[in-house]
Amino acid sequence: MPARHKVSQSEVQNAKQAVLKRLYGRAALPELVSLDDPLSAVYALLSQTVSSNEGNSALVLGPRGSGKSAIIDRCLDRLQAEHNTASSPKYHTVRLNGFVHTNDRLALRDIARQLLITQDLEHVLVGSFADAFTYILNLLRSDEKEVVPPVLFILDEFDLLAQHPKQSLLYTLFDIAQSQQTPIAVIGLTARIDVMDLLEKRVKSRFSHRQIYVRSVQTLDQFKCIAQLALHISTDDGVSANYADEFNQQVDELLASDAVAGYMEYLFDFGKDTRQLLQTLASSVLQLSVDLPHPQQSPTAACVEREMQSAKLQVLANVSVLELCLIIAMKSLVQVGSTKYNFEMVYDEYKTFMSRHMMAVAAGGAMKIYKKPVALKAFETLIELEIVRPFTTEGGAAFGRNDLLAGTAAGNRVPKEYRMVQLMLEPGQVMELAADRPDIPAVIRRWAQQ
Amino acid sequence: MSSLLAILSEQYPGREDQASQLLSLLGEPTDPTPPFIFIYGPSATGKTSVIRSLFTHYDQSGQRYAYINGVECFTPRLLFERVLNAWAGHVPSLDNKFANYTRCENTVEFVNNVHDLLHDKQGQTHYIIIDQAERLRDRGPMLLTMLLRLSELTNASICTVLVSNVVWDKFRPRHGGALEPTLVFFSNYTKQQILSIIEKDCPKDEPPKFFLTFVDAIYEVFHRNCVDLDELRHLVTMLYPKFVQPVYEKQANRSEFTRLFKLCQPYFSAASERLYLREISTSEWQKYSTEVTTETAPEDVTQSIYQMAESGDGLDLPYYTKFLLIAAFLASYNPSRLDAQYFSRGKTQAKRRAKAVAQDATGGKDRQQLLGPKSFNIERMLAIFYSIIVEPVDSSVDVQIQIASLVTLRLLTKTSAGDRLDGIKCKCNVSLETIRTIAHSVRFEIDRYLYNFA
Repeated sequence: MPARHKVSQSEVQNAKQAVLKRLYGRAALPELVSLDDPLSAVYALLSQTVSSNEGNSALVLGPRGSGKSAIIDRCLDRLQAEHNTASSPKYHTVRLNGFVHTNDRLALRDIARQLLITQDLEHVLVGSFADAFTYILNLLRSDEKEVVPPVLFILDEFDLLAQHPKQSLLYTLFDIAQSQQTPIAVIGLTARIDVMDLLEKRVKSRFSHRQIYVRSVQTLDQFKCIAQLALHISTDDGVSANYADEFNQQVDELLASDAVAGYMEYLFDFGKDTRQLLQTLASSVLQLSVDLPHPQQSPTAACVEREMQSAKLQVLANVSVLELCLIIAMKSLVQVGSTKYNFEMVYDEYKTFMSRHMMAVAAGGAMKIYKKPVALKAFETLIELEIVRPFTTEGGAAFGRNDLLAGTAAGNRVPKEYRMVQLMLEPGQVMELAADRPDIPAVIRRWAQQ
Repeated sequence: MSSLLAILSEQYPGREDQASQLLSLLGEPTDPTPPFIFIYGPSATGKTSVIRSLFTHYDQSGQRYAYINGVECFTPRLLFERVLNAWAGHVPSLDNKFANYTRCENTVEFVNNVHDLLHDKQGQTHYIIIDQAERLRDRGPMLLTMLLRLSELTNASICTVLVSNVVWDKFRPRHGGALEPTLVFFSNYTKQQILSIIEKDCPKDEPPKFFLTFVDAIYEVFHRNCVDLDELRHLVTMLYPKFVQPVYEKQANRSEFTRLFKLCQPYFSAASERLYLREISTSEWQKYSTEVTTETAPEDVTQSIYQMAESGDGLDLPYYTKFLLIAAFLASYNPSRLDAQYFSRGKTQAKRRAKAVAQDATGGKDRQQLLGPKSFNIERMLAIFYSIIVEPVDSSVDVQIQIASLVTLRLLTKTSAGDRLDGIKCKCNVSLETIRTIAHSVRFEIDRYLYNFA
């Protein structure tokens, strides 16, 4: 649809920046959909600590991407606007993260750094954790008053922090919050619903058992609403009202198109992943320019199609014919009933098949039986792509380094042709792989379909 | 931006789609970028080259991106310090005593340093590019997740780009904290693209069309077992001089393709497989093949081909040691209950007949030949040895010493504990083809003694 009004380069630039910031999670959405209850609960808790100097603790539980950090950020911004003045901060904030603060000592050092304590703390840190912590809190007292200002502790990835030895950080925090000596608020955010089971008994008893649940979106409309909020622009973003209206109209059409609507349903059914949805929709505005000032449907449809493909089959779409034969040989071994096999068995299966069909092969197309070293090289390519992995009995070894090619000290006992492997594709996927290829001989294709 | 795309398409034909996708994701330096881009595809598809070239041109100052190789940085500290060096523009040199920008040992320090460094460069996206990113999976469970979330943790605009052969599904950490990537897929080259790339390798004084026909023929022959661009380029470079030699020796002219192919056919079939498997190095190949062309007698040509084509691993061992090795092989692959049948001398020899092996459900796939060598007692191997040696052996001490040297040569592998002096068990580490060559050299018919070998 051609633009009815001329848009300037700066407007387009502003629109693109604003939209992309929201889509990539670098700026908050204008409003949080269906999160009012948890939002007010958290805000009430934090403001009680700040205004009435109470000690409070709570856990915010919710699946990934449901908006826990967004709620916290919003509450902190509101508190900042209402209470904090630059001259003498009425309260402090400390944010810890389970990914970053991997043990309690590091966490304590970082707490001191975030509270802008510049004194040297080495002599304190070697002592007990609780003493060190109280010392640090006491350093916050300003000269005139006797009272320590309230400190808000936000603990991200709380379940990882609960896995530190002896949980001393959590114990100290909850202890101080409960005993009301100094006013602190402790809010833990986590995606594990059973996080309470991870806490030790003494930690659990000091915790207030206050749990605030954040649910992910309930209906497809709310899901769609999030996408709309991210994509719609307004005059706050530095664009004219006319441009904003046209833009938003195009956004609505885009969201109603078949490809995008289907993709949203697919994501909603699978896991309600809002981040993934917004990232895919970013493809609609990447090409924004003065000539094309509105979101485009075709790049979005292409991006959606790319996302819905299976990555494994994509990577295997163009393997050489020999590699495909080895994969099909492994599939036949699986179908016969072997759960584990090694290169020798796979090669044997390949050779048996080829010699059985020698007549058909010679008539149909030039298909020779490759020698063992060449087949081994092809096999190693498959191992590198991790389509073939070492066979282990425990399921947890699906991730982690592939020791099949590297010879560990124990692994050197078995020559590499004899090491047991398993194929990481389903028989159905193998059939799909062979069906899509026009260039393989018909004999191979039939073999794959058996 | 379009000029950058033109440069990249010129340098890397066939990768225009991927380059334009990447460039649109990066945008202007002040545009927001996705927090995580994942580039994947089979090997030799140009991932590393394109991304390095792209960033060299995209960011002339070199201070907005940090390129790390996952293999080099085997501890987190190396990774952190390199990233900080790159972003601060600090180069360890003689002047600063090869010190890094700052000492950074754990994630907390890294996050704080990044925050301080990028704090006043608001709006400019910084990039971390990690190649061979599959190695990061074992460096600690949180490292990958932390790198992906660096933007949130530091409130700065950071984009992490991971490049790998392995698909993202195999990276996703179990605890679920990692972000989902924006995927960029580098597919294998199509035939047309491969031809246009290898065309650029054409030697300066050769006509391009002639070269192209040759490349086309090579592709047709080899693409069934190898679609890797590097391998094809290697083969083309090695085989082209042979192909074009008859033209210079006035035996054929450039338009007679069939004749040229027939003339270099022996080289193709005999030596190209060995080149592909790297059994001979490129310098060896060039030495052998140039030796041949200076002489024009056809017998010399065939002789040099046999020289190149024969397998060079006929082991050079003393006579008894070869028999020891054969005995070890037989002990590894024959079941011990049949030893009496095969190896006893005298009347029982007549009763040896091949029993029909019952085919089991797996189609005979569990025979020992496929499962690999079994470990055996040294005494059993010696028993077999003394039985297959026709003439009497003088001293048995030498035989024991030979066993030790076989273990050192890794032809036998010791499977019992290192300090056990009695009841030593070993297994044979040699393949069937090598044993056949050895047996042939001592005129021993090994096939009579092998059980259930296809």
